[in-house]
Amino acid sequence: MKVERQIRNDHLARIEGKAGVVVEIGEEVKAKITVTEGPRFFEMITRNKHYEDAAAICPRICSFCSIPHKLTPLEAIENALEIEVTEQTKQLRNMLYFGNMVESHALHLYLFAIPDYLGFPDAFSMAKEYPDLMKNGMELKNFGAMVQNILGGREIHPENAVVGGFGKLPNQQDMENIKKAAEKVKEAAIATVDFFAEYEYPSYVNMPRNHLAIKPYEGYGVYGEEIVASDGFSFHVSSYKEHIKEEVVPYSFAKMGKYKDSPFMVGALSRLVLNKDLMDGTAKELVTSYEKFLKAENSFANNFSQAIEIVYFTEKIMEMAENIKIKEEKRVMPEKHDGKGYAVTEAPRGLLIYEVDIQNDIVKYMNVITPTAMFLPMMELDAKKMAEGMWNDGYKDIDLVGKKVEMVIRAYDPCISCSVHVIKL
Amino acid sequence: MRDKMKLKIGVHGLTSCYGCQLKMASIKELLEVVERFDIEYWYMASSKGEIKHVDVAFVEGSVSTAEDEKELKKIRENADILVAIGSCAIHGGVQGMLIGEEYKEIFEEIYGKYEMDFEGRIGEPIKNYVDVDYFLPGCPPEEEEVVYYLACFALGSYPEEKDYPVCSECRRNGYPCILIEKGEMCLGPLTVAGCNARCPSHNVACIGCRGPLPYNIAWFDSLAKTFKEKGFSKEDVRKRMEIFGKQYEKMDEMIEKVFEDEGGETDQE
Repeated sequence: MKVERQIRNDHLARIEGKAGVVVEIGEEVKAKITVTEGPRFFEMITRNKHYEDAAAICPRICSFCSIPHKLTPLEAIENALEIEVTEQTKQLRNMLYFGNMVESHALHLYLFAIPDYLGFPDAFSMAKEYPDLMKNGMELKNFGAMVQNILGGREIHPENAVVGGFGKLPNQQDMENIKKAAEKVKEAAIATVDFFAEYEYPSYVNMPRNHLAIKPYEGYGVYGEEIVASDGFSFHVSSYKEHIKEEVVPYSFAKMGKYKDSPFMVGALSRLVLNKDLMDGTAKELVTSYEKFLKAENSFANNFSQAIEIVYFTEKIMEMAENIKIKEEKRVMPEKHDGKGYAVTEAPRGLLIYEVDIQNDIVKYMNVITPTAMFLPMMELDAKKMAEGMWNDGYKDIDLVGKKVEMVIRAYDPCISCSVHVIKL
Repeated sequence: MRDKMKLKIGVHGLTSCYGCQLKMASIKELLEVVERFDIEYWYMASSKGEIKHVDVAFVEGSVSTAEDEKELKKIRENADILVAIGSCAIHGGVQGMLIGEEYKEIFEEIYGKYEMDFEGRIGEPIKNYVDVDYFLPGCPPEEEEVVYYLACFALGSYPEEKDYPVCSECRRNGYPCILIEKGEMCLGPLTVAGCNARCPSHNVACIGCRGPLPYNIAWFDSLAKTFKEKGFSKEDVRKRMEIFGKQYEKMDEMIEKVFEDEGGETDQE
């Protein structure tokens, strides 16, 4: 193909990790997301390690989702060794996970995405003109970090979450503090939704999309074992390899996920599209009154969906912290030393799958499929649609087209470190 | 107009989890802190993207691709002071566990049948490629440490690196010793301090995420001896230390010394 114009940005800023985008415009429009972050082979470096050490290595896949990359392998390990954790552990893990949702979404929206909407290169320059807006973002981020600090022992790489429970349990005063902090940021959470409910989505990226999300055990939760798709199909996590295939492309260290041989979406938008009826409280009211912003066919709706989720998870944390009565209990230690286990959870960016095979307490095989690896092909398609639509509509300013292409990529909140972990399936 | 009094800083990420940059971005009073500096470059946070001269450059991540190396060298050329931040930049990170033939085999196994546009490399510490002025350890570093380093540079001073083990912080806080009381392999005696014994404070054994102690100054004469008493072998200790310190040059010496007899002879296993 004769390339008439090319958009090339080797440094996609304001995303987690290192990636670029190349769009070629000729008779047709082609787009590639190039992932240049070096491969880190997590499935290999966890091999032949004690399961507890392997679980401590996994969070290092990605700092933004280090909580999901701890809690999901823990669940896979516990499933493998048939450990049934206590009700309290489940609740506290949920709370920890929700805290990560709030922080990760707040960081993404305020530090990475909103500068696009308001035309700034970064949040720091934006903060000078929109101090109140930034303050909201910082408050939400700090709240999420606080929950992770208390329950995870650290906001990044949570060493307090261990196989069978927690190293150290929080106390009742911690819960009280969390509840108060949640009350304080509720307004900021709602303001985030209001912000996104003012923007129209570029129609260039409207297209039918297959969404995948978990069928939660409870409410609009992050734990489950069944994966549902918007085409009506569903499958158990243990058969993930039959339904989600990963491919290698030469221009990227990340693998590209396909569902039924086609690109698909996961993440906040997919969760809302499939599970919004499981929501309750203020988030439910907001999503109902702003329903026209929840567009399954447009990826920009992902930012709005993240904002709704900030409200939901903040409110849930508040309720849980208010109702829980912490009691002293010990970690549940396994009786078994061998087994295979699977786990799937909803990480901030979407489905996260872990598979583990343990023999004599040693991890013999681990496989991870991350949300970003799943939605990369769809993100590429959106980049192409955006460039193509604008070009055909007469926008010949390549910088402007490039900016919009970046914006649609950023709407996904891609996590590049997560995507380059790969092993051959 | 640029404020000439403000220090120019750059923040860069090579191959990593981006946790060190996230830690920097998560400083509670972030907006006040960034006011005091001119942020010329922040890979993760800004689309202003050109590496130019700065007073201080922070680099997280290991060198794992040819692009990483090129970028790192450019950062070095343009920075008066270069700080390696976090375990990946200092020791290669957990990805640094794969070295030598094993790396080649695994790369071949995964990407081998494809013609990749890029070259993958063993994750190496940045000091293997450029001169490093300061090391800020942690996985990730603690907020106070990041602020301390920033404050030192802003005041025209320089940060002092810690030369004592996690154990000393643990003892000072009076946490029960995990190695002695639970017999679990806690790497506190061999790991550089600064986290205020975060994991032991949660009743979790230190995994050595901040990296082996520098200057060969572990607590050989006291707690480190406990490994042997508790029945751990050299290999046990090595295996755990290698998670974050596989490429540490003094690993052999350190382990030999941990298992050395009082008389100075090494233990016969």
